[in-house]
Amino acid sequence: MLARNVIVRSLILIVLAGYTAFAAGPFVWVAIMSLRTTTEISDNPYGLPFPAHWWKYPEAWFNSNYEIYFLNSVLITTGAVLLLSVMGAMAAHCLARYKFRGNRLIFFLIFSTIILPPQITIIGIFQILVNYGLYDTRVGLMLVYVAMQMPLTVFILEGFFARLPQDLFDAARMDGYSDFEIFWKITLPIGLPAISTTVILNMIYIWNEFLFAVVLLVDDGKRTLPLGIQRFMGDNLDDTGMLATGLMIAVIPVIVAYVFFSERMIQGMTAGAVK
Amino acid sequence: MTFLLPAFIFYLLFTAYPIIKTFYNSVHLIQPNASDEFVGLSYYFDILFDDRIFSNALVNTFIWATAAPIIDVALGLILATALYSKIPFARFFRLAWFTPVLISYVVVGVIWMWIYNYDWGVVNTLLRTVGLDAWTEVWLGNPSTALWSLILVDAWKWVGFHMVVCLAALHSLPSEVIEAAELDNCGWFDKLVYIKIPMLKTTLVNLLILAFIGKMKIFDLVWIMTKGGPLWSTETLATYTYKRAFQWDTFNLGYPSAIAVVSFGIVLVLVLSMSWLSRSRERLEY
Amino acid sequence: MSVVKLEGISKRYPGTAEPAVDNISLTIDDGEFMVLLGPSGCGKSTTLRMIAGLESISGGTLSIDDTVVNRVPSKDRDIAMVFQSYALYPHMSVRDNLAFGLKRRRIARDEIARRVDTAAKTLGLSSFLDRKPYALSGGQRQRVALGRAIVRDPKVFLFDEPLSNLDAALRTHTRTELIKQYHQLKSTMIYVTHDQVEAMTMGTRICVMHGGRIVQVGKPLDVYRNPADTFVASFVGNPPMNLQPASLSGAGDAAALQVFNTRADLSAEQAARLSGLKGGSLTFGVRPEDIYLGLPATDAARFVAFKAQVIAVEPLGAETIILAQAADGEEVTARVRGTVSVHSGETVELFMDPEGFRFFDGETGKAI
Repeated sequence: MLARNVIVRSLILIVLAGYTAFAAGPFVWVAIMSLRTTTEISDNPYGLPFPAHWWKYPEAWFNSNYEIYFLNSVLITTGAVLLLSVMGAMAAHCLARYKFRGNRLIFFLIFSTIILPPQITIIGIFQILVNYGLYDTRVGLMLVYVAMQMPLTVFILEGFFARLPQDLFDAARMDGYSDFEIFWKITLPIGLPAISTTVILNMIYIWNEFLFAVVLLVDDGKRTLPLGIQRFMGDNLDDTGMLATGLMIAVIPVIVAYVFFSERMIQGMTAGAVK
Repeated sequence: MTFLLPAFIFYLLFTAYPIIKTFYNSVHLIQPNASDEFVGLSYYFDILFDDRIFSNALVNTFIWATAAPIIDVALGLILATALYSKIPFARFFRLAWFTPVLISYVVVGVIWMWIYNYDWGVVNTLLRTVGLDAWTEVWLGNPSTALWSLILVDAWKWVGFHMVVCLAALHSLPSEVIEAAELDNCGWFDKLVYIKIPMLKTTLVNLLILAFIGKMKIFDLVWIMTKGGPLWSTETLATYTYKRAFQWDTFNLGYPSAIAVVSFGIVLVLVLSMSWLSRSRERLEY
Repeated sequence: MSVVKLEGISKRYPGTAEPAVDNISLTIDDGEFMVLLGPSGCGKSTTLRMIAGLESISGGTLSIDDTVVNRVPSKDRDIAMVFQSYALYPHMSVRDNLAFGLKRRRIARDEIARRVDTAAKTLGLSSFLDRKPYALSGGQRQRVALGRAIVRDPKVFLFDEPLSNLDAALRTHTRTELIKQYHQLKSTMIYVTHDQVEAMTMGTRICVMHGGRIVQVGKPLDVYRNPADTFVASFVGNPPMNLQPASLSGAGDAAALQVFNTRADLSAEQAARLSGLKGGSLTFGVRPEDIYLGLPATDAARFVAFKAQVIAVEPLGAETIILAQAADGEEVTARVRGTVSVHSGETVELFMDPEGFRFFDGETGKAI
């Protein structure tokens, strides 16, 4: 009986190790390639990075415009996440705390946009941005991102806010707080865990977003990282080494954040999926 | 009420209005520097009956949206059960497996293009090392393997997500019911099939529907790796819409808008019917 | 035959200094209804789960019918368990819940049907067989949980606080049902509870546990009348036994007890028992029902009187609980039959029956 136990456990460990190699392998490979030159890679794609060419990172950063792409991504992501958090929290607070006719209807409307395939909005958005002169601007893209992620943000926050005990708010109201003060002083501080969840979620989606960026940005100086990589790929598909370095630049911020906030991230991204 | 206003304005401006515009577009010939011409439902007829590329894209997207969720969720559940039994380093595995979820499709696409590379990619190198040279393929260049190669990449990215959700769901199952099954002569497999999966039905169905919705939208991965080729074998509804709107010989936003409306209609009908079908009148109260 | 023997059983959780269960030895005879009684955290549930095989045994031997079963998996121990939360399979009908274990054991279909129908009839579940658990009341779910155990026809039945989730009225009713089942099935049953009423009314023997150890094992009335230490004395019986520090005066024939500011002469037998104490502290115990309000008609001479001021009166109809404060400042509870007309603040004279005196070592708490 003990032997059977051992066999079962070893099998499980083999499966686990195998899948880990499958899941993390590609990433490790790229990390290694990012420190090797293209010639080295052509000779032996699977060799180890000896010597490790750390200079490739600054090279990619400055000479291949990655600094610009990175900056754009940071600007757009930060701006969008900020707007999303504030407006989303406000909307969620309203839907969760106030009973009025159409509350559920509005909630359903906002929530149902999640199933919309982006194709249905992208052409219309393209036309709108062109008409308002926001086409090919970072601000325009940022506003589009805010609209895109609003439903999910409101959905998650509403769920959380609705569970806050009504007594808190009744007490505040009796103490004479105005609606806005209640939102600012009670909902926001207590709702911080849920808000940080949506912040992480939005950050990841927007940082990695590609379709809308590809459609709505043209000027190279405004490109976000995903676009930058695509452009780099187009120009230098054979420069595997530099491309790998570029990939790492795009991925490292997310990985770093993940290492520090992994629990929170996993929680955020899977929020609402367990029933 | 004013709290709702900013978000709602955004919704109207950037979601509701574009949708209405798309519907409007779908029945007009839209050209730059010319006024819109009403064409009625002609585009819809073309799409549904004449457009071979569309039907191709529809089939591809459909295959992806049905096969991938099943693969993703099933694998996710199996991995979750492996992690659920108390093995060492569970946290490490969980973290490692979740990483692909965070990486942008663009990065994932490039990496897997290298993995699928005919000459020096991982897949073919492995096959050659074990002597299975005959099985090497130009994975992304062969119309019969391209779609499934992409589906594999998609699975690679998302299985970790499903695994984490299933793991959380498994932990939320009441331990006494599992113990009762233990006393009822259930081994590992019986417990999974007869007890755990039925009790997780709602979560699993949710995951399947969520995955379905996600796969129906797929664009980024295809665009980076194959752009819909070779020979339309990886063309999806989203890539076709994009091409038709921004990369076609004739600039007409009406036709792709119609494609978008049709895509939307299909997704809506399917999602609604799936939700309705899986709506069980029983409450798994526990 | 289903004899369960625990020899030196203990359970240690990694990371905790104290064992959850410490060196328990107990033999449960064939056909016994053994109640493991104790407060939360005393280790009774852990012990039960070790018998069931749901927890591993850290030390000691567990045998069922002379076979050591320490490493035998739960399903092979021929036991059935009724869980506190009933643990019914929520997605299966009552019939399937009852039949599930039998199907997993590959028992013939008609045999399964027969057993399920018999159990359902015995427990009054026949009309619910096609319902799912969410459509049943708490009491009905409880019966299904019991039915699931009955159809297994096991050697030993294990119960883990099955009545805790029921409301008071249902609890009393279900308790009698369980006792009926016990007499019908004549199987060995091990029952865990923190409710001493259940223990007293259901058990053929009770085993009082505290801090992971067995404190006393015996027939309910024996444990009640002769508690082994102050813990058992105060845990079993409601309202709990009055426990006070007391002192001895005199010696030999003139030995007497000082308590409640009064002097109680000790019988020779009692004096002899206390003789070993010499200077150590003494805890004195007397049950509330052994304290009377008025002087009893018969045998009045032996009763010990003392004065006390009434603090509170709780009329319960058939009896009245009186909480009073004796002249030495100690609180005392008395339980008298019927209704009385004393009021809070009144000074009354109370009479103790020396037959009810219990003595415990003031330091260790053990009975003398």
